[in-house]
Amino acid sequence: MVVFFGRQYYGGENQMTQELLRCIVELCEQMVCSGAEVYRVEDSIERMCTGYGAVRVDAYVTTSNIVVTAEMEDGREFTHTRRIKSSSVNIEKLHRLNALARQITATTPTSEEFRSKLEQAERVRTYSFWEQIVFYAVIAGSFTVFFGSRSLRETAASFLIGGVVGFLVLKAEKHSVNKMMVRFFCSAVFSTLAFMCLHFGLVDSVDNIIIGNIMSLIPGVGFTNALRDLFAGDTMTGILRAIEAILLASCMVLGYIAIAYIYGGLAV
Amino acid sequence: MMDMQVVIRVLAAAVGTLGFGVLFNIRGKKLLVGALGGMFAWLLFELLGGVVANEPIRYFVVSAAASVYAEIFARVMKTPRTTFWIVNLIPLIPGGSLYYTMSSAVGNDFELFMQRGVYTLELAAALSLGIVTVAALSRLIKKSRTAKTGK
Repeated sequence: MVVFFGRQYYGGENQMTQELLRCIVELCEQMVCSGAEVYRVEDSIERMCTGYGAVRVDAYVTTSNIVVTAEMEDGREFTHTRRIKSSSVNIEKLHRLNALARQITATTPTSEEFRSKLEQAERVRTYSFWEQIVFYAVIAGSFTVFFGSRSLRETAASFLIGGVVGFLVLKAEKHSVNKMMVRFFCSAVFSTLAFMCLHFGLVDSVDNIIIGNIMSLIPGVGFTNALRDLFAGDTMTGILRAIEAILLASCMVLGYIAIAYIYGGLAV
Repeated sequence: MMDMQVVIRVLAAAVGTLGFGVLFNIRGKKLLVGALGGMFAWLLFELLGGVVANEPIRYFVVSAAASVYAEIFARVMKTPRTTFWIVNLIPLIPGGSLYYTMSSAVGNDFELFMQRGVYTLELAAALSLGIVTVAALSRLIKKSRTAKTGK
């Protein structure tokens, strides 16, 4: 039995091995990738390691790396480091990984079992490429209406442009293009398309079309997570995430401004 | 009697939130709860319109309320709080305000740009303050609870 942060854990029969620690870190890496808050991930690492009999766990997690050292009662130490590269929010996966982490803490299975369960949890269904594009379009269309457009043409234009933006974002994600470039480029594309609609007299104003598409690219999640990490005492991650969100938003703004200037120059 | 415009906005907020839920791969009942959260958040914002005229203050109240909603449903549905937190607040993102700030920057109207820019920041700050307040409170409650049961 181990007492850890005022809580009691009954370590299972399985003691920590390097392979088990690797599994734990892999699980947590996936959690960070799917959009978990880092302090919760640190918490999960500590609990799982404690479940496997560690008496002291030092875990340091940011959005780009994980460092863990677990010390056993007999003085042996296990350590593992991971660099995290890509991330995209995937709530269903996070939900499953979170449940798995709890289960691991309670049951402390062998590394083979751990790995097979992890693989099972990672195999989540995602919406297909085309479904996602449709929902990008739906987001753009609905926020065009939300922000005050009452014209069917504007909404339809926004819907279609949203689909194009979704296509570009998803394709770029697949080839892991830099996120900032994606924001800049996509924002330029939707601005161009919106101004073209205006130019050919399809719509009366570009305002709501552009707002609708801004909404689908705005890094709202990044910003929210940044704040929560900051307040949970994770200054480093909070700052990293906040700066990332601000940079992404700025790139998006620049994309629009560039096109608006060009269009203004052409029109006048 | 509720204004037709309000109904349209609330429904649009719900659909938009649903769209984000899909992009974040939220599934099943959680998707529904998330979309309803976004809808209720905006409904509350509209209802408070009659009571508080100041928009940033309304933003604060609504973002705190939406965060509480997220906390409660995350516990009920046994899922990480991030699930609802990231979608509930989406209708509150000041995208419109940001756009008008940008367009006045392009229009070379410096005064209007400053005015709108500061307003956008005010809205974002109010939104963050709501999130942060509830996050701090929930941690406090959790800590005091584990302090009691842990011994």
